[in-house]
Amino acid sequence: MTAPVTTAVKPIGVLGGGAFGTTLAHLTGSNNQQALLWMRNADRAAAIVRDRANERYLPGFKLSENIETTTSLAEVAERCQLILVAIPSSSFRTVVRDLGDHLRGDHVLVSATKGLERGTFARMTDVLRQETCCLKIGAISGPNLAVEILRGVPGGTVIASAYEEVVRMVEKPLHSPRFRIYASHDLLGVELSGAVKNVLAIAGGIARGMGFGDNTLAMLISRGLNEMTRLGAILGAAPETFSGMAGVGDLVVTAFSELSRNHRVGRGLAKGKSVEQILEELGQVAEGVPTARVVKEWSDAHGVRLPICQGVYEVIYEGAKPAAALEKMLSLPAMWEAKSTDIS
Amino acid sequence: MKAPDRERAIVEVVDRIVETTRLEAKSGGLSVEDLLADTLYFEQQRLKHAPRDRDNNGYRKLYSNLRRGLARASVSEQVELLRQATDRFAREVVGKFDPRVYAFTTRVLPVGAGLMVNAVSPLSLLSRLPDLPNLKDQVVIRGATDTLRALSDKGTVILAPTHLSNLDSIVLGFSLFLLGLPPFTYGAGLNLFSNPLLSFFMHNLGAYKVDRRKQAGLYKRVLKEYATVSMEYGYHNLFFPGGTRCRSGAVETHLKLGLLGCGLQAYINNLKHGKPQPNIYIVPCTLSYGLVLEAATLIDDHLKAAGKSRYIIEDDEFSKPRQILNFATELISLDARIVLNISEPMDPFGNRVRRDGTSEDSRGRPVDPSRYVITNGGPGHDLQRDTEYTREAGRGVMRALRRDATFLSTNLLAFATFCLLRSRAPERQFFRFLRTAEDLGGVPMDEVYLALERLRDALQEKVSSGELGATPVPFGFDPQTVVSDGLKYFGTYHTHEVLARRGDRLFPGDMKLLYYYHNRLTGYGLEQAIDERLRGAP
Repeated sequence: MTAPVTTAVKPIGVLGGGAFGTTLAHLTGSNNQQALLWMRNADRAAAIVRDRANERYLPGFKLSENIETTTSLAEVAERCQLILVAIPSSSFRTVVRDLGDHLRGDHVLVSATKGLERGTFARMTDVLRQETCCLKIGAISGPNLAVEILRGVPGGTVIASAYEEVVRMVEKPLHSPRFRIYASHDLLGVELSGAVKNVLAIAGGIARGMGFGDNTLAMLISRGLNEMTRLGAILGAAPETFSGMAGVGDLVVTAFSELSRNHRVGRGLAKGKSVEQILEELGQVAEGVPTARVVKEWSDAHGVRLPICQGVYEVIYEGAKPAAALEKMLSLPAMWEAKSTDIS
Repeated sequence: MKAPDRERAIVEVVDRIVETTRLEAKSGGLSVEDLLADTLYFEQQRLKHAPRDRDNNGYRKLYSNLRRGLARASVSEQVELLRQATDRFAREVVGKFDPRVYAFTTRVLPVGAGLMVNAVSPLSLLSRLPDLPNLKDQVVIRGATDTLRALSDKGTVILAPTHLSNLDSIVLGFSLFLLGLPPFTYGAGLNLFSNPLLSFFMHNLGAYKVDRRKQAGLYKRVLKEYATVSMEYGYHNLFFPGGTRCRSGAVETHLKLGLLGCGLQAYINNLKHGKPQPNIYIVPCTLSYGLVLEAATLIDDHLKAAGKSRYIIEDDEFSKPRQILNFATELISLDARIVLNISEPMDPFGNRVRRDGTSEDSRGRPVDPSRYVITNGGPGHDLQRDTEYTREAGRGVMRALRRDATFLSTNLLAFATFCLLRSRAPERQFFRFLRTAEDLGGVPMDEVYLALERLRDALQEKVSSGELGATPVPFGFDPQTVVSDGLKYFGTYHTHEVLARRGDRLFPGDMKLLYYYHNRLTGYGLEQAIDERLRGAP
């Protein structure tokens, strides 16, 4: 028997009180929709409502009055139909599994996390599917620096889902004259772009930190895009996705911008700092760090050559000097650009 | 379909199609006139080459009237013409089930070979009845049989089997009877109705006619709508998700989702109408034969089309009564068993279903499937969403078919031998390899036994990882027995010997058939267990 369903306007659920989760809640609130922000930490949850600010991750920004907070996943599931999940990839599965206890088939889940799961190479939407009963699933990804969105700097993002209903539902709370939503059916391509570009952003940061110029960065971006696209093609993504907002758009912003956490990790590495030290100073998750290892393990297992991702991995996990890693990459044999195969 | 439901179903099918067409036309879709013109075009093309029998002459008369009427018809007259054309198709499709005949049929069916040869002639069938062994000794049914039985009382079941042979529907029909289940409705190609006696049985076992030569969109709509209505009336359905017999012999990887989609539509309609038992359960199952009646024709077709099925084969072994007789006799003399493996049932969204009918998610938590189809506060259709749901269910069916596949001695021996031969000439172009493998001088028996041992270990690993079900080799995997059984089977029935032992070596006979039987184990990455050089083999 079908349970009664209320059609009253429901708040948009957001899981994760980090920089991007808070930003999504703020965007929703700014569009005159109620946002229910879930966080683990009760004190921080209370502080956001009290101060209308998230001083830890987004200091100095005034948040929308339309944000409520909760520490109860059950409450999010009970009150919201659309739930945006912005949890770090390392704890994504655990949180989603707990959320799954409270979900129903009419819930819509959208990942806002750009990462891949270690060991399984699962995308975040794979985890949503595996850990819940929900089928209407999507992902948002694009050049979305939280600070710029909060400042009202014009920008946009991509919402990807096989379900057009998901696209329509996400568009409503997030689309505004300052933030444009593009839709895509290529969930795989959009998620892969978002995850892999974080690794490439670290490479960009390393190049900048070492004082290299725009030529170097341009090469990293274009060859990095080639790595992303080849990886996507092998896994079945649409190549054109990588030349869109979620692909080259996101890659450019993170490779160049000092507002990007992953870029800052790269700069720190170039200065000789350890990853632990950099992350401690950052005080936030940089998804490119775990993703570098996931991509390396996958490319080894499948015999796929991804030299930039490989170089970043060696610097982070094998203690290679950034200069040596870069030299190793540059000293690879000359190759056909389009085919990525050696000339000889 | 039972007689009282038959007329009701025809009216329902016609009404729905007419109504849907009108609504689509209003929202800018194909107009009624265009749909009729499309029907006329495709049907006239078909009738150009169709024999002048009673059936086709009836259609000729109908289309002649339709052509004349359509030119001057008003919109309401067009709708009436559409109604007539749809009604004609619907009457052809709907079966003529009679419970009394079903009772008689299922008494006759157990006489296995008799069943298989009943395409020969009624007299032949009847003359053999007393001497023929019982089909129930040949069919091994395993897997989630209790769940299937339980669910058949709680909702409507869609059985989704692999498809190797035209004998499948007959074996399945009888297996369902053995399980104590009522007959399942299924669409069967016209060739299965060509013999009057067989046609009589088919109709009364729940089959309805599918004429693949009818390409008109309206006809396809009628088939789908009839399947939907029959499910709503509570008739269990059988549908081959592969669409046609698998040409290569492998477990299907490309599924046609048509009837799964009908299951979802029926489920939503049931919810909308407040039916007390709205649930639809999809039950994948795999059928495995030691020998396949039409293997030679199917693999020929597969190789000719390089994977693109011709779709309609009208002159295969199934159309040769003598061959069916030979096949049945061989099968029985070999004591060859047919294995039907019933997989865990799922709902139209791909969720596993428990024996009590409750859907559950991958963590085993109960799920209310009706929540998936809520639109504007109640159950409703949404074409785009429902197509995606059906794809989701299709992926679930495909996973189940691959996981629960069973491999018999002919498959195991063919796989091991084929891989050993291939590893001797990995660089040879594939089709050339098939033509010239005899030059390789066969393979020593010691290597065959070793390869089978490796294959056994690799299969065990797949079982441990959950990639395969608990017992993919149902009758035990002893390499010595596999070789002796496999050679025994391969040495009979097929016109050309598939494999032959000469001294301490095994020689390929018919490489195409060897390839066919080998294909059952492809797609699992087992090749490298036989020879590391075959890693990544297609």
